[in-house]
Amino acid sequence: MTEIAQEFSTGPGNTRNIDARRHVPGDPSMWFFVIGDLIIFGVYFVGYMYYRGQYRDMFLQGHAKLNLNIGAVNTVVLVTSSLFVALGTSAARAGKTADALRLFSIALACGAAFPLLKMFEYIPEITAGMTPGTNLFFMYYYVMTGMHLCHVLLGLVILCFVIRSLRGPAKPRISFVETGATYWHMVDIVWLVLFALLYLMR
Amino acid sequence: MKAYLRNPLTFVWALLTAVIVSSWAWLTALATDVRQATEETFATMGGAAHHLDITITVAVLLAAAVKAQLVIWLFMEVRHAPTWLKATTSGWLVALFGLLLGFYLAGQ
Amino acid sequence: MTKSVAPASEPATTRSRPWRKSRKLDQWIAFWSVPFFFSVFGLVFIPLSWMMPPRSPSSPQAQIVDFMHSHNLLIACAVLTLAFGLGPVSNAVYLMQIKRMSVSPVFRYTVMMGAITGTIVGMLFPLFCFGLGAFRPGYDPAILAMLYDFGYLAFIGSLGCFCIMWMAFGLAIILDENLILPKWLGYYTVWQYVSELIAAPVWIAKSGPFAWNGLMTFWLAMTLFVSWQFIVYVCIFRAIKNQPDDELENAWLEPEPASTDTLPGTSA
Repeated sequence: MTEIAQEFSTGPGNTRNIDARRHVPGDPSMWFFVIGDLIIFGVYFVGYMYYRGQYRDMFLQGHAKLNLNIGAVNTVVLVTSSLFVALGTSAARAGKTADALRLFSIALACGAAFPLLKMFEYIPEITAGMTPGTNLFFMYYYVMTGMHLCHVLLGLVILCFVIRSLRGPAKPRISFVETGATYWHMVDIVWLVLFALLYLMR
Repeated sequence: MKAYLRNPLTFVWALLTAVIVSSWAWLTALATDVRQATEETFATMGGAAHHLDITITVAVLLAAAVKAQLVIWLFMEVRHAPTWLKATTSGWLVALFGLLLGFYLAGQ
Repeated sequence: MTKSVAPASEPATTRSRPWRKSRKLDQWIAFWSVPFFFSVFGLVFIPLSWMMPPRSPSSPQAQIVDFMHSHNLLIACAVLTLAFGLGPVSNAVYLMQIKRMSVSPVFRYTVMMGAITGTIVGMLFPLFCFGLGAFRPGYDPAILAMLYDFGYLAFIGSLGCFCIMWMAFGLAIILDENLILPKWLGYYTVWQYVSELIAAPVWIAKSGPFAWNGLMTFWLAMTLFVSWQFIVYVCIFRAIKNQPDDELENAWLEPEPASTDTLPGTSA
């Protein structure tokens, strides 16, 4: 695997040598996990869409009750966090460890806002009586966003480990940084789909 | 700092954020009287109110697909990855959104 | 029996030993107990009692009573009572492999405790519930309905123990530097944990895709679980096979680990 830290310059004028072409970011087994997780979430998404067709009115009413504002802000939060992770990864690859450390820290801070906002979303909903047991829409909503939230929390832990690796006296392992970044981007992608399915659909 | 602002990744982010914010704003507006104006415009183009919803939803799904593809291709650097990885991620995207659109339209 | 092989303890010499004298016999017994156990389990649950795929949580009481008093359930429970003890034996294969990994012993103990608690809740409780219905006729229908709920929920909804067990196993594989088991298997095991979480809604939903016989909670979880079971046992098989003899835990049992296989004065 050509994943040894390559010190090619990461400007827009990136040399497109054969090695860069065939580079798998991070540990390939993380990609195995990412794709599998995307498939598992995919089963949920498709199941959701199927049942939405069966119970249109219930689902439409459910959409209306969700907090679109928090949902949208959360989406922007995750996308921004992903940006900083991506920037941090290319900084780490270029050897600018201090920059990478700063960028990942910002990413972590952004990402940490997600569970916080989620609490502001869940708690009013639950106290208003909309629980997983209310109806199928809310079951799907809580299960899917709940599973996603668990992934976010795990992702935050992974980002902490990446930051620790960047900070440590030893030279950071680029492969590890990329692996963590890959996981985090997957979490972002899942949320993009969830946002569309739960909040934006009509 | 400026280098980061000019980084292509930042441009991708700006694009994604713009799409998210505009769909958010528009849908919020749709909940109020802007909706009626949109419906009327739509009606003059020959569609029923029901079809407005379908159009919006299909657009939402396609936008989500594009956003996901952007993140995969650029943030996750699959653009520079071996063919098998490109094929797998693109395959997932196409299969997922194909099924989503299919079930959505079938359920209408 | 070839004795022309060099007397050093090369792996090649083990081929000349009859399988009964294999140094890894203990592990192989534990390993092969698995297909046996699972076949018995499968027989009990599917053709004998039609417990799997799960019956509906919203069945009418009359159907529940019939099921609890059925002849097949009686046989299934009897078989299960006798075979249940194989569970710990087949779980030993996991523990043997974790021991070889470079991770903290905490993982091994976690898997052990998770397996223990999980087996009690996930297998023993249903055994009692359905056993009560099968072996002791005469209970009130309402009680039987409660036992039916109890049994199924214990079987499918017993998440916590297995969550921890599989998370520990998965993490151990991912963090292991000795690469006893492949890393992707570690990630696959994390999905075992996920599939337990997936099954959580069974406590709430009584019908639809999130009930204990639902598309999301049962079928998806089962697909993940069954495929993982096959794969993990293939990987463990390979790990047992590839384990160098001098790393075996039972090396202290052999009189002379580095000598030839045959005892003095006898021929193979």
